[in-house]
Amino acid sequence: MMRPRTKKILFSFSLLVFLFFYIPILFVIIFSFNDSKLGTVWTGFTLEWYGSIFKNSQLINATMNSIYLAVITTIISTILGTLAALALHRYTFIGKKSVEFLFYIPVVIPDIVVAVALLAIYGLLNMSLGLNTAVPGHVAITISYVMLVVLARLSSFDNSLEEAAKDLGANEWQTFWKVTFPLIFPGVLAGALLAFTISLDEFVISFFTLGPGDNTLPVLVYSMVRLGVSPEVNVLSTIIIAIMFIVVFVVGLRMRKGGDVK
Amino acid sequence: MGVQMVQLEHVTKEFDETNVVNDINLDIRAGEFLTLLGPSGCGKTTTLRMIAGFEKPTSGKILLNGKQVDDMEPYKREVNTVFQSYSLFPHMNVYDNVAFGLKMKKVSKDEIRERVTKALKLVQLKEYGNRKPKQLSGGQQQRIAIARAIVNNPKVLLLDEPLGALDLKLRKQMQLELKHLQQTLDITFIYVTHDQEEALTMSDRIVVMNKGKIEQIGLPREIYEKPVTRFVADFIGQTNIIEGKVTAINDDTATMEFSGQAIEIPNSQDIALNEEAFISVRPEKMKAGTVPFEGTINLKGTFKERIYVGSVTKIVVTMPNGEELTIHESHDNIEELTNTNDVYVSWNPKNTVVLKK
Repeated sequence: MMRPRTKKILFSFSLLVFLFFYIPILFVIIFSFNDSKLGTVWTGFTLEWYGSIFKNSQLINATMNSIYLAVITTIISTILGTLAALALHRYTFIGKKSVEFLFYIPVVIPDIVVAVALLAIYGLLNMSLGLNTAVPGHVAITISYVMLVVLARLSSFDNSLEEAAKDLGANEWQTFWKVTFPLIFPGVLAGALLAFTISLDEFVISFFTLGPGDNTLPVLVYSMVRLGVSPEVNVLSTIIIAIMFIVVFVVGLRMRKGGDVK
Repeated sequence: MGVQMVQLEHVTKEFDETNVVNDINLDIRAGEFLTLLGPSGCGKTTTLRMIAGFEKPTSGKILLNGKQVDDMEPYKREVNTVFQSYSLFPHMNVYDNVAFGLKMKKVSKDEIRERVTKALKLVQLKEYGNRKPKQLSGGQQQRIAIARAIVNNPKVLLLDEPLGALDLKLRKQMQLELKHLQQTLDITFIYVTHDQEEALTMSDRIVVMNKGKIEQIGLPREIYEKPVTRFVADFIGQTNIIEGKVTAINDDTATMEFSGQAIEIPNSQDIALNEEAFISVRPEKMKAGTVPFEGTINLKGTFKERIYVGSVTKIVVTMPNGEELTIHESHDNIEELTNTNDVYVSWNPKNTVVLKK
């Protein structure tokens, strides 16, 4: 049993951490309803910015770009990351440890290095920058996460299940889709979600490798706040918070209902 | 009976340059219950996995129903396996687990329903189709694993220590059920176990393996009563192995010297004059008393201890050379023996088994 005093201290400490996390977010939400054009003083309640944000073509464009990049990145990273994880799990080959190590590096390497490296390559190849030139960078930093998550899932996978499937007449293809994939799917899904959010959030690589006219949401917001935090940025943040809140809530609810798939 | 269902010809399997299975020849008849018995690491599971197709032999041939299969993928072979860990698909319910093999073979829906229901009925779990494997007990999962295999009407059913994870009572019950199932279905069963009692209970024939080689193939009774090698005698049940020098060889009999006393043993190809010989005598074939018994072999020693083990009483007698012999006596005919007694250990010569070295 915890002593009452310890309990009290722990409780206050947790509360402080929560406040530290959530007070800034609360401010953003409150000031998204602020009447003033300057973000710092409360002058009155308005929904004006919620209307204007949907007329801001720059913002909408950047949002579409972000989603486009995140979707493409997620698809490529999830497929390649899952295949890599399967290969590393299943086969032993010379240099396996080194290959595995190479997959850990992007997790710890600063994004700026990837960004500069890509820029150098594009320069060398004389490629003009556009929206798609950000894809390789996004894939490079997300693929490791997918692989690590799927690999973790595979480590608890009982290989004799695949043998059982083959024993019962399933060929390699059927074995994968009927047995292996359904069982590692939670890992693949978690990896995909991780890749999606990392890509959506990614700033440095996008900033360096996007073409002059192409903006993603983080890049656009960055350029907007350089001239002071406009209420529109607050509105945008509030909408993103709301969406994320709903997504996490629904996923959490479903997980509890379905139980662990394993 | 009589038709060869599985044939292994000079099968060898190497892992990292060690022979896990070493030049095995084995003919398995259609409809028989054959057990591969041996300690862990003797190659029995590897042999089974080669028949299933999960491992390819390094050399040698495997024939299934007369067809050579050693390069055939497991999903093309008409054999099914019951795995040690059951290996039920956790994301499917019991019905879908059992139906899996039939679905892969594109059997019609109606037939699948009929056959799955029949298989579940056979293992007495008809009502459990909608459950997930996790919701079943170990014994029930085991039965589902069996149902999932036999629903495909395999020519051969391979069972890899399927009862290893069950408790003793359930295991005994399942042994008999499996035996009855095998007789009902008339499928060839190849059963792998390290439990000699299980092997004796269930099998038509037993193959005793050690270090990748076959030590002996025979009926359970032959394996127990007429072990050929020292390993088999030692591994199956308890026995007294007596080692001594052969001092004389006649036509049918020979004489061996053990601990300063002569023992008459049957003549055999495995002995030679002036060389060491090994014989095995089961403890339950021996008697102990304070006076020599008539018409039998008698060895004189000193009483060491008696241990009550329930079904029998064990008596340990020390020989002059310090070796100990163990006798199993039923409780009714034990003489009172004390520490000071000279004790005669005696047995009928026909119960002496000469072993290969």
